[in-house]
Amino acid sequence: MSGSNIKITVKLIGPFINQLGFSEKTMEFPAGATVETVLSSLPLDPRRPRIVTRNGQAVASGEKLGDGDRLAISPLYSGG
Amino acid sequence: MYGWTGNILRINLTDRTHKVEHFDEEFARKWVGGRGFALKILWDELKPGIDPLGPENKLIVTVGPIAGIPAPNTGKTVVAAKSPLTGGYADGNLGTRVTEQMRKAGYDLIIIEGKSAQPVYLYIEDDKIQYLPADEIWGKGTYDTHDWLYKKYGKGAGVLSIGQGGENLNLYSMVRSLEGRAGGRPGIGAVMGSKKLKAIVIKGSKPIPVADPEGMRKLGLEDLRKVGEIDKKTGWSIQGTTGVLAWCNEVAALPVHNMRKTHHPDAWKIDGERLNNARVATYGCPNCTMRCGITILDHEGHESELDYENIGMLGSNLDIFELDQVASLNYLCDDYGLDTISAGAVLAFYADAIEQGAIKGDFRFGDAEMAKKLLGMAARREGEVGNLLADGTLRMARKIGHGSEAYAMQVKGLEISAYNCKFIPGMALAFGTSPIGAHHKESWVITFELKQTARDSYGPEKAAKVIELQRIRGGLFEFIVACRFPWIELGWELEHYVEYFNKTTGLNWTLNDFWKVADRIYALMKFFWVREFPFWDRTRDYPPMIWFDPKNADTDGPIAGKYLELDKYNQLLDHYYQQRGWDKRGIPTRKTAEALDLSQEADQVEKFTKLE
Ligand code: SF4
Repeated sequence: MSGSNIKITVKLIGPFINQLGFSEKTMEFPAGATVETVLSSLPLDPRRPRIVTRNGQAVASGEKLGDGDRLAISPLYSGG
Repeated sequence: MYGWTGNILRINLTDRTHKVEHFDEEFARKWVGGRGFALKILWDELKPGIDPLGPENKLIVTVGPIAGIPAPNTGKTVVAAKSPLTGGYADGNLGTRVTEQMRKAGYDLIIIEGKSAQPVYLYIEDDKIQYLPADEIWGKGTYDTHDWLYKKYGKGAGVLSIGQGGENLNLYSMVRSLEGRAGGRPGIGAVMGSKKLKAIVIKGSKPIPVADPEGMRKLGLEDLRKVGEIDKKTGWSIQGTTGVLAWCNEVAALPVHNMRKTHHPDAWKIDGERLNNARVATYGCPNCTMRCGITILDHEGHESELDYENIGMLGSNLDIFELDQVASLNYLCDDYGLDTISAGAVLAFYADAIEQGAIKGDFRFGDAEMAKKLLGMAARREGEVGNLLADGTLRMARKIGHGSEAYAMQVKGLEISAYNCKFIPGMALAFGTSPIGAHHKESWVITFELKQTARDSYGPEKAAKVIELQRIRGGLFEFIVACRFPWIELGWELEHYVEYFNKTTGLNWTLNDFWKVADRIYALMKFFWVREFPFWDRTRDYPPMIWFDPKNADTDGPIAGKYLELDKYNQLLDHYYQQRGWDKRGIPTRKTAEALDLSQEADQVEKFTKLE
């Protein structure tokens, strides 16, 4: 970890994998990064409904992240 | 009357007679089609307490007013009967060419009564009805059966069939149509088998009565194109429903080890990404431009079409994380004509009961080869074990004893689909109040629950959302009869369906008209259950007790230490009943029944139970 950066594992779900070209990777962000910091660093269509979870719990975009957090970004599935 | 043909084909297999009857516009407006028609016929014509596997039960095949016309995803047909698995009302929808062919043959409803002395299949071509010997296909799997029938009647014919599961009265056997499509989870295949009816083949040549045929055709084709474009843009069908597996694993909602666990480090091995990478073909229902049938080769080299429920219930729930083996189990279920959800739940329950020491046996979680053998035994009812497994988890638990009913993962006798609600109160309510037993098709509330409410809330907002979704998914889409995926997965607005309905029928309905029909149908489905089980109480709307057991709480992950609380679940049920106008037992009150134009039905149910 360089300086005061934190490491976040980003897990994409469903078609986001094909749109962004990866399934899961660990990325570095400055300490104090929020969910929004991560989301805005990714070329995701902001109009597309999605659900973001941190360590398995749904999170709001303003929430601060901690080192080692896992962020899963999924389209808003409706369950078949 | 437009939209409906108004024709009912009534077939009696005992004496091989048939007649065409007619329904009027009042019936059509009140029940619309599909689930509405099936329910009303079964309510009116079945004597309470009949043996679901006896000749008195009736098999209903029915469509809705927009079914079969070229418009987004109108290729579905509803099959229904009294369930041999649950003893209650049962139906299911499946994508099939029967939809269009049946409408072109001139029927909205087929009622099949009695029981043939010999195995037969039905050939229906417009007004011609033939009862043909099924000796060459009886005993065969659904793949061979379909091939045999296609050779005779051509690939364009509508075909419904059963496999060995239905023939041998496996209680969770289904009706099969195209490739991986099947419907009628609560044993509709066994009802067909009990009538010695191996298959139904339908061909039609008449026009479907549409009020504005040119307008509807133009609109329908244009909308099919648009839906296809949205799918391409969003990429939904790249993984289809199977994308849900990775998400459920993240949020601790995946069925693992008979739902004792909610996530697993190997889940990625059977997820939608792996499935898409292994894809060899894609199949879909008729009139669909977002085909979701991802097909891969199984361990033995067969094509096997998988969706999320398949990989969840036959994969993670059995601790099987080899994708080709999961595909093999799925292929066998399709070929035997067994419901993959119940089959996965049954095998997991069996392994669990052995692990708990409640029964002796040599099946262990993760043993794919043994699971294949057991599926065959269950489909053929082979020996003591085959017979035990063929009866579904609730009956199994009652035979096994030792408190195993607590972890028989079912509601009202129907096995729970692949969402582990150990700590998801709203989704547990959706399963608890699903009107055919636990099924995800009625109300899938998890993403709403996790995104827009507190996960641990048992508040009225969750009950309201369950009802809203039931009205749309279990109501509208089941009675106009169309696949719900364009709406739920691509955001294709419900107003489109109002337009299709109005252009087809010439009526001028709004969504509110549909909601009233939906509420009427939900109330009558409950009356059906109450008439069969007159000492009805709310415990029948409970999920399995293990979800309320603190000892069952996860020890790690997002919901470590959490479990459902029974008194709070009861509060949630109260909210649900209150919002629906049902009493504390979960039975619609007389006032509610009357507001839904069900006075006569309320009079009948009062012969069994006093209404409030
Ligand atoms: S989306 Fe899937 S289930 Fe729906 S009509 Fe298309 S292929 Fe059938």
